[in-house]
Amino acid sequence: MDRLRKKVRNLLKDGKVAGYLGYIMKDGHPLPHLFTPERPEEVDQAIVAPGDARYPLDKLLQQLTSGYPDATFAIQVRGCDERGLNELYKWGQLDPEKVVLVGVACPQDQADYCECAGPWPSVIDSGDKCAPVLRSLRVDRIDALSGEAAFQEWMGAFNKCIKCYGCRDICPMCFCKECALEHPDLMSTGKVPPDSIFQLVRAIHMAGRCIDCGLCEENCPADIPLRVLYKKGNALVKDLFDYDTGSLTTGLSPWKFLGEESGMETKPM
Amino acid sequence: MAEKEYEAKIIGFFCNWCTYAGADLAGVSRLQYPANIRVIRVMCSGTVSPHHVLRAFQKGADGVLIGGCHIGDCHYLKGNYMTIKRMTFLQDLLKFTGFEDGRLHLEWISAAEGPKFAQVIREFTEKIKKMGPSRLKIAPKAA
Ligand code: SF4
Ligand code: SF4
Ligand code: SF4
Ligand code: FES
Repeated sequence: MDRLRKKVRNLLKDGKVAGYLGYIMKDGHPLPHLFTPERPEEVDQAIVAPGDARYPLDKLLQQLTSGYPDATFAIQVRGCDERGLNELYKWGQLDPEKVVLVGVACPQDQADYCECAGPWPSVIDSGDKCAPVLRSLRVDRIDALSGEAAFQEWMGAFNKCIKCYGCRDICPMCFCKECALEHPDLMSTGKVPPDSIFQLVRAIHMAGRCIDCGLCEENCPADIPLRVLYKKGNALVKDLFDYDTGSLTTGLSPWKFLGEESGMETKPM
Repeated sequence: MAEKEYEAKIIGFFCNWCTYAGADLAGVSRLQYPANIRVIRVMCSGTVSPHHVLRAFQKGADGVLIGGCHIGDCHYLKGNYMTIKRMTFLQDLLKFTGFEDGRLHLEWISAAEGPKFAQVIREFTEKIKKMGPSRLKIAPKAA
């Protein structure tokens, strides 16, 4: 923690950033907080959020920069948060020149729980690298089911949905001004549970965009295994288009361009 | 078999410049094909969003057929590059969730391919009839 606080203090002191978006311990609660040069003493309370108290800082950063488009901010990032920033740069939602990383490596239990293939960011100011988890057993388990069994399982989960939109609202990658989930021509209105395609529509939108932070699933009051669905979406985008979601070296999302050629073949009937 | 055949409901999203014209040709050539298909004409197969496909299934379609120009022949040059990306992805996602990927099919049919059009419609209708009503349609509603 000392290492992280020292870096933040220096950033604020040198005037390199207008603020640092991180976490503070307040009355025993870890909360997201914007640390500013005007109140350097607060940095003594700066913390790394525990794994079960994460917030979508990337989303808060987008709100901040829309109010202060010229300012540079530092932000605490885990591996997933950095992937999120990378993807947001590509979608034109944030300017990489105006973001400074304060990196946190996740502990092994977090990576195991997340089934995370990239549990640390490119800059580490707290924690140590652990072993990445390269396969998702949760996805494998569904893949191994028969179609009928998979359908029963997903329908059982989807039917619990109370249409609170919490999954969308917490998602750092959901930045659209108009949302297909609320489009009356695409989704029935006034219905709980919503149409069975509700989660599929979101899954389509998240493919190549979801950076697998898992906040949606943790936030879902109906305990729908949303992360499994989006993990699969990203795996498909990787298989079909060789796209690594959240990587800076893999070009643009396949949904953002048509391509020079199309080598794909239609599936046989 | 004595069982009564299931009257499948199939939605076709056909590109104005190729498959829709192919349907026309099949028509004037008096080629026979089953009448289970309801056609929605679009200006390019690339305008068909996965939303439209999912919405069709939600509303009771047993099958969805997308018809577009062959690669290289799209009137908007590369619209169908996106069609095949989207539909391939959607087929795989439907499979993962047990929604039966085989109910969504993409076929390139040009304006000159009247016989191919009739044949694709016949085969796809046959296949969907055999599959019966979609799982989504017969799924029990939540209590
Ligand atoms: S997905 Fe989980 S393990 Fe991976 S970086 Fe984020 S919090 Fe850490
Ligand atoms: S895991 Fe959920 S909240 Fe996180 S980016 Fe993916 S869809 Fe959004
Ligand atoms: S958070 Fe869960 S219950 Fe709420 S809309 Fe999303 S899937 Fe449905
Ligand atoms: S115009 Fe026919 S597929 Fe684009």
